[in-house]
Amino acid sequence: MDPLILGAIVAISTILILFSGVSVAIGLLLVSTLFLLIFDGVRSLELLPEILFGKLDNFALLSIPMFIIMGSSIASTRAGADLYEALERWLTRLPGGLVISNLGACALFAAMSGSSPATCAAIGKMGIPEMRKRGYPDGVAAGSIAAGGTLGILIPPSVTMIVYGIATESSIGRLFLAGVIPGFMLVLLFMIWSLYSTWASGNKSLLSTRSYSWKEKFEILPRVVPFLLIILGVLYAMYGGVATPSETAAVGALMCLVIAMVIYKLWNPKDLWVVLRDSTRESVMILFIIAAAGVFSYMLSSLFITQSIAEWIGTLDVNRWVLMAAVNVFLLIAGFFLPPVAVILMAAPILLPIITAAGFDPIWFAVVLTINMEIGLISPPVGLNLYVINGIAPEISLKTILMGSLPYVGCMVLAIILLCLFPGIATWLPDAVMGVAR
Amino acid sequence: KELRLSHQWSNKDVRHKVAEIVANEVAAADVDLDIKIFGSKSLFKPREQYRPLSRGQLDMTVLPLSYAGGQQPAFNLTLMPGLVKNHDHAARLSDSPFMDALEEKMAEDDVMVLVHGYLAGGFVGKDKCITKPEDVKGLQTRAAGKAFEQMLAGAGASIASMASSEIYNAMQTGVLNAANTSSSSFVSYRIYEQVKCYTPAGDVALWFMYQPLLMNKSTFEDLNEAQQKALLDASAKAEAYYLEEAKKQDAASVKVFADAGVEIAEMSPEDFEAWRAIAQETSYKKFVTEVPDGQALLDMALAVE
Amino acid sequence: MAGHTPSAATSHVGNNAFLRVVAALSTLSGWCSAAMIVAAVVITCQMIVVRFVLNGSTVWQTEAVIYLAISATLIGLPYVQRLRGHVNVDLVPLALPKKARFVLCICTLSLTIAMVCVMLWYGFEFWHLAFERNWKSDTIWGVRLWIPYLALPVGFALFLLQLIADLVAVILKIDQPFGLEDN
Ligand code: NA
Ligand code: NA
Repeated sequence: MDPLILGAIVAISTILILFSGVSVAIGLLLVSTLFLLIFDGVRSLELLPEILFGKLDNFALLSIPMFIIMGSSIASTRAGADLYEALERWLTRLPGGLVISNLGACALFAAMSGSSPATCAAIGKMGIPEMRKRGYPDGVAAGSIAAGGTLGILIPPSVTMIVYGIATESSIGRLFLAGVIPGFMLVLLFMIWSLYSTWASGNKSLLSTRSYSWKEKFEILPRVVPFLLIILGVLYAMYGGVATPSETAAVGALMCLVIAMVIYKLWNPKDLWVVLRDSTRESVMILFIIAAAGVFSYMLSSLFITQSIAEWIGTLDVNRWVLMAAVNVFLLIAGFFLPPVAVILMAAPILLPIITAAGFDPIWFAVVLTINMEIGLISPPVGLNLYVINGIAPEISLKTILMGSLPYVGCMVLAIILLCLFPGIATWLPDAVMGVAR
Repeated sequence: KELRLSHQWSNKDVRHKVAEIVANEVAAADVDLDIKIFGSKSLFKPREQYRPLSRGQLDMTVLPLSYAGGQQPAFNLTLMPGLVKNHDHAARLSDSPFMDALEEKMAEDDVMVLVHGYLAGGFVGKDKCITKPEDVKGLQTRAAGKAFEQMLAGAGASIASMASSEIYNAMQTGVLNAANTSSSSFVSYRIYEQVKCYTPAGDVALWFMYQPLLMNKSTFEDLNEAQQKALLDASAKAEAYYLEEAKKQDAASVKVFADAGVEIAEMSPEDFEAWRAIAQETSYKKFVTEVPDGQALLDMALAVE
Repeated sequence: MAGHTPSAATSHVGNNAFLRVVAALSTLSGWCSAAMIVAAVVITCQMIVVRFVLNGSTVWQTEAVIYLAISATLIGLPYVQRLRGHVNVDLVPLALPKKARFVLCICTLSLTIAMVCVMLWYGFEFWHLAFERNWKSDTIWGVRLWIPYLALPVGFALFLLQLIADLVAVILKIDQPFGLEDN
């Protein structure tokens, strides 16, 4: 059978199986098993455990649970609230200080957590009730946090960048740096929208909030010190020659656990277990999907589908920007349904040769891909962040959260367009710090 | 009939070209045999290839045989410091009783060799040249292969284990001071951007790795006579090409490093003997204690002039 | 989407002894999984200290940490299933009426069980091969590979148990299909 037609059949089967409600990892394994059984014979199934095990046999993957522990241990303390309160006291002069503070806190928290749901939960727990209490529209309160949380995978450290680095053999240190400026650009866009929509809602009184005395402003500063310590410590370990990026995650995880226990008095074994339990749950879920996606890509490669699609797109004589637009639409649609790591692992081997052949920078592409994945996090049906918000603010309906998040999706699309117009936004910092890649 | 060949290298690599020659020649022989190449680890990860090969789930592969050293400890001899002196010596080793003994071991796993071939490598230093054992003392070093790790540790280096894809970053931030791997890996990972000095394989070289094109034996035996002949003829052609190219690789890597402004150092015959003396006390000794017929195999290898 | 609320949703066990035993086993495996992740963190930090502070050799840490992480993933599977932590697309189940949702849930759970049985069977064979032939990793440390590979049969066996328990709970109406509450 023609591998392209076979590819289409695999795609349809995957969609059908995933929509049945079976878990993503098992769904991928089921489709892989089915097609291997039909086209490669029963004996190919003997390879399944070895491939599954082999896909996880990678030191860099281990940084995923560690960056998740960093996020969830700090999220279980008052640190997130402190951070956001400090920002609020200092940004009070700015119009719409509260929503700005929340977004800023999300961005800073993202600099410590590798995952988006953790970022969302850490800031949202305090931020959303506070914003609602002060009369911000529900949509803005929920949407800004849902969107701000997605920064967790763009601003380093980032789980998706690690997975991309592994899948494409790019430098993880370089990828991390590439996300910094786009991350802050995105925060800025989020802030601009939040201010505009609050202003447009007619509730202009919100834009000038209460003021704080200088005493109050300085009082809170010591409370954000541990936070800065962690970020600086991780940066020093990563770029100061102490450890490789994947090893740095362990330093960060240990620092966060120790700071949570010593400074925030997270002594109680029960509380500690909650941190470990949540980290274990998220890590195992992600790593199992990675392993299953590995089996899936083995199947695609074994049936020569990956190679044929790449070849086929290579023969299409289209403008490189038309190609980029098509790739983005594909990623968006995939992101609606699948968690980021699954999309990256399945798409990267197919897309990367095409992207580089068309003259795009793989590091720049990682940023575009990540923003696409961020959109997926706040869009149905598998929008992890929407459900996190739903969990911490059950009184806001899922529909309101969704509608509130939509404009932020617009900001992300705008960010992708800006990145296409000015690729330097992503590539300047890594080139400046690590030298221009050849 | 279709055979599947898996390897870990890019389509510019000499090892891909070797596979390609075999595939093209077999196709040209028109014996109803088609070899499909899965390059760039698109099917199996590098170290995962030997097991499917030995169980007939993969037909052919090009891989460093020492990757399978955990299953057949004798294979560790194919990446032993100082055992091979230069490319011509390597070719003589491939055609010796020593290689026959190794092929017997492979036959136990239902594996046979189609194309023999060795590739050489060297050392890089972040801040200084590495030619003699004293040079590595106290340096954080990443070596390719466990026998080299044992020898370098014996010379006083600190061994850091990491994936070869991480060498670049680790060198840049200073986590790593020295590394040792194949000429082609040094070039493909652009290590020349990060180091001060390169010690390539020259008239004498420590680092030689046996990287043959292997095939599942039963699969080969199931082919008809014309197909077998086509495969063997194609392999002979590829083997001649492989030897020629292997020699060129080292010179090519020197050029890349020199063009990047990296200092090129040379290992003298005395340095080579000093390294080998340490290897004898460390990796050779360890090998002989770990492998039951290790001493006999080692003697066979050392007997090749 | 079940399983992504910060509060820990767990599957219901009712008074059924079988369900309780399986739940306890899964929780135990969750503890093991978390302990292995913590051990990996500690070993990685130890490696950095040995290398950066003491300038010593670090030959076994990377490998140990990788095997710990893989084992944590496999052994953690049943616990994450119990916490409903495996992400799924629940668009269709949500849209279906109660009866159809029940049938669909039985189907997907059965398919999942079949898949895990396949993994368990071949995983056991793979482990057994490594054990019988005494395969080792090709590093200085030279770990006997059956030890890390043991996580395959053990992890999938416990996962299978938890899945069977979930199926039983849905059939006996102790738990809701897909963990979705009626609305
Ligand atoms: Na982050
Ligand atoms: Na989505």
